[in-house]
Amino acid sequence: MRRLTITAGKSPDDDATNGRFIPATHRHLYEGVQNLGPDTWNYKTWYPKHEDTLNTKKKWFIVDARDKVLGRLACAIAIKIRGKDSRFFTPSMDMGAYVIVINADKVVVSGKKNSQKLYRRHSGRPGGMRVETFDQLQDRIPERIVEHAVRGMLPKGRLGRTLFTHLKVYTGDKHPHTAQQPEELVIKDPLITRNAPDAVAA
Amino acid sequence: MTRIKRGYVAKRRRNRTLALTKSFRGSQSTLFRTASQRATKALEYSHRDQGRRKRDLRRLWIVRLNAAMAHEGYRYSLAIHRLRKMGIALDRRSLAQMGVCDPEAFSALLSFTLQTPSLLVES
Repeated sequence: MRRLTITAGKSPDDDATNGRFIPATHRHLYEGVQNLGPDTWNYKTWYPKHEDTLNTKKKWFIVDARDKVLGRLACAIAIKIRGKDSRFFTPSMDMGAYVIVINADKVVVSGKKNSQKLYRRHSGRPGGMRVETFDQLQDRIPERIVEHAVRGMLPKGRLGRTLFTHLKVYTGDKHPHTAQQPEELVIKDPLITRNAPDAVAA
Repeated sequence: MTRIKRGYVAKRRRNRTLALTKSFRGSQSTLFRTASQRATKALEYSHRDQGRRKRDLRRLWIVRLNAAMAHEGYRYSLAIHRLRKMGIALDRRSLAQMGVCDPEAFSALLSFTLQTPSLLVES
């Protein structure tokens, strides 16, 4: 398996025992052993260095939102952006990936949410509450629907705001990131596509 | 009585506290009265977090293991159960570190454990 990070598995010592302590009762087990793997006992839990979090080394994924259920899609995206599916996950560092969402205007919600799900915002002034339904927002700014859903699933804070910038949402099929060679985001959720009232048959 | 000026007696006492607050923000590293409050808090957090560290790291190992095992197609709950049943005493710390630093060995261990049902120890 290709090592995904630069610093994992590196050992500071060059000698055969890799600088590890081997108790006297176990020494006979190591006679004649040439290549010892990384010391899995005398260490601190691996923590990424800055070069493991470089944006230029991150993977890019692409997902088509057409006829996908909004919340389930957002969940899959948020997991990828945060890096929860990676063995190198660290909550305090950005170990996730970039995700491109296309056809964001075709995302779907179940039940009567099309007319009943409300998006609220407040301008800060008295009487400044603005409310609109899912349908109205989808007509006005469709990208905001997916962004709002994913932002709610990412951590809130400085790191969460940085993670959110790794989400790229587009209406329609075109996106400007072909140079990043995004790969298909595989969603294992069996309920990701459901028969919504106005869904176009996939 | 001879007049005695106190010199730097108080300053030395305060410097001991200020030394605990290096790199704190603003006056919390500079002014004694605010700094001493933050120093007390910092020591409290330090003591409390000695217990928290054990919890936090175990959570981190479990999340990393879940991801590493999902990469091989196994669920964390199932894999840990099988590992224990087989009598493999590797703790979550070692396993997670293996998952990061020695993925070939980790993968070999998992496939050995989860694909040899005849070796399951009924305990």
